[in-house]
Amino acid sequence: MWQRETFKKIKQIPREEHVLPGTALCAGCGGLEALRLAAKVLGDEVVYVNAAGCFTMLAAYPFTPFKGSWLYTTMGSAPAGAQGVRDALDVLIAKGRLPERENLKVVVLGGDGSTYDMALSSTSGAITRKLDFYYFCYDNEAYGNTGMQLSPATPYGARTTTSPCSLQHPSGATREKKDIFEIWRAHKPPYIATVAPRYPLDLEEKFARAATFTGPKLFLALSACPTGWLYDPGETPEVAKLAVETGLWPLKEAINGAVTHTYIPKPKPVEEYLKLQGRFRHLFEPVVQTEAIAHIQERVNAYWEQVEKTEKAV
Amino acid sequence: MMRTVRFHGRGGQGAKTASRILGTAAFIEGFVAQDSPVYGAERRGAPVAAFTRIDSGPIKQRGVIACPDLVVIADASLIQDPAARVLDGVNERTAVFVNSPLTAEQLQAQTPLLGRLTTLDLTTIALQQCGKGGAISALVGAVAGRLVGLRRDSVREAIARELADLGLAATQIERNQAVAIQCYDTVRTVPVAPGAPQPTASARLQVPTYESPTRGTARISAAANSILRETSGWRTFRPVLVPDKCNGCWLCFAYCPDGVISMAKDDRPVIDYAHCKGCQICVHECPTEALVAEREKEGTVAWKAK
Repeated sequence: MWQRETFKKIKQIPREEHVLPGTALCAGCGGLEALRLAAKVLGDEVVYVNAAGCFTMLAAYPFTPFKGSWLYTTMGSAPAGAQGVRDALDVLIAKGRLPERENLKVVVLGGDGSTYDMALSSTSGAITRKLDFYYFCYDNEAYGNTGMQLSPATPYGARTTTSPCSLQHPSGATREKKDIFEIWRAHKPPYIATVAPRYPLDLEEKFARAATFTGPKLFLALSACPTGWLYDPGETPEVAKLAVETGLWPLKEAINGAVTHTYIPKPKPVEEYLKLQGRFRHLFEPVVQTEAIAHIQERVNAYWEQVEKTEKAV
Repeated sequence: MMRTVRFHGRGGQGAKTASRILGTAAFIEGFVAQDSPVYGAERRGAPVAAFTRIDSGPIKQRGVIACPDLVVIADASLIQDPAARVLDGVNERTAVFVNSPLTAEQLQAQTPLLGRLTTLDLTTIALQQCGKGGAISALVGAVAGRLVGLRRDSVREAIARELADLGLAATQIERNQAVAIQCYDTVRTVPVAPGAPQPTASARLQVPTYESPTRGTARISAAANSILRETSGWRTFRPVLVPDKCNGCWLCFAYCPDGVISMAKDDRPVIDYAHCKGCQICVHECPTEALVAEREKEGTVAWKAK
């Protein structure tokens, strides 16, 4: 049974803010909520390497919400940028030009378009080179900054601007969400975790644990997105909660490749999650697409059956 | 003669869709129509703009509308926001619609505006009749349609087409149509002067001088200055604490995406209203209903410099 060691009570969440307000991100952004919580553990001694995406709006010229540095890269090259920053810090420290105590953490911020798609090769390279960095993916399951186009993170059945529901494809997106967690895990990095903003203690605990490892530390943050998923901004925590409680977004970590689920939900039917969001409305109106919904449910059931088998065997 | 309309709103309110509704309604009536939003990093709550041109023959103009015949302002708080530039190119001939509970005369007394002013409180109408005050695209589109003189039926049809395109449920579309037509019928009309003189603004492209990386690439030395940007104008509702009901659970603090809620020594939340974007997460998640949503009133939105 997985247990939190550092963060047991909500009042242990540090009071100090490290991502300041005044950014132009959408009201109710689930990704910002996850980043803000993560930064409470990461602190200010950080260089953020930001791939183009919604988080571009964090540090819109000439304003920045960070006390530390922020480096902006193309969508495909943030891990390469992180390598450069890490190397520069290491060289400066080795030459004695930067005192060891002024060492900084290097944190990549990438959306799912960058993470699942464009930056996959540079991430693979960085993990293979055992780059000592954090990778924070804010996953809102589409190219959000450009107006919600299909990405490999878009789940089956979601409507995006490039996967509209049509006569040929009544379900909207026809492909399954890419399993980036397993792709990362195949590289055997020391630490990988999924997090959701509605589970702040789980999130804080995982960032605290990751800090004890040297090498790539990869995070996949469910970024419930009112603008793209089409629900009221105030419902972000509710949507994130149901993603986890229906079993669609498993909370888990992998230490040196060994997976542990950090929260086992008593699974609710997937409809409860889907119904909250406009991007799935076509599955319920004007006619209920029973098969499509059953397909989503079956995939979730199969996932958790597999979890039960493998994690009990350990 | 061509009519030009410029829409201003906040991301999520539907300025872009309103501009599409107007364009589609004109097209249904046999006009040539052109509509386009400002492409940029639009965000829920951030100022956005969209443009519609309507003519009986081909439209050869492109790009932004610097001097529109009609300016439609879907959010009155934008008038005070210099970055939104809602009054650019407005002269005494321009028709100006503002979504506001104030009458044109009251608004004129508060904020002197050029142009022929008319107002209607679309947000309250949407709240009362649709239960939501956020997306008012159909209402804004209908008002614009009325002001430029399009027919009721084509506006109604355009709303159906554009909202169906957005994936709205049939019942919601009908509701929106009904409320929008009510706004179409009640808005006080002002003449929209066709073809107000359009000074062609010339845009000069500035070629940046290249500096080699040894001289320094773009580097900005600033830290944590986003706090200088206030986002209070993004709100339709503000969260307000009812201290007696608060059990000091910290949940509002934990879930606030922007980090505008801090916990006082007595475990009561303190809300930074200069930066709260009004997402209502804290109101939704408060287990004791100690945070309630209060409608922002015109003139109470703080734009105070810190």
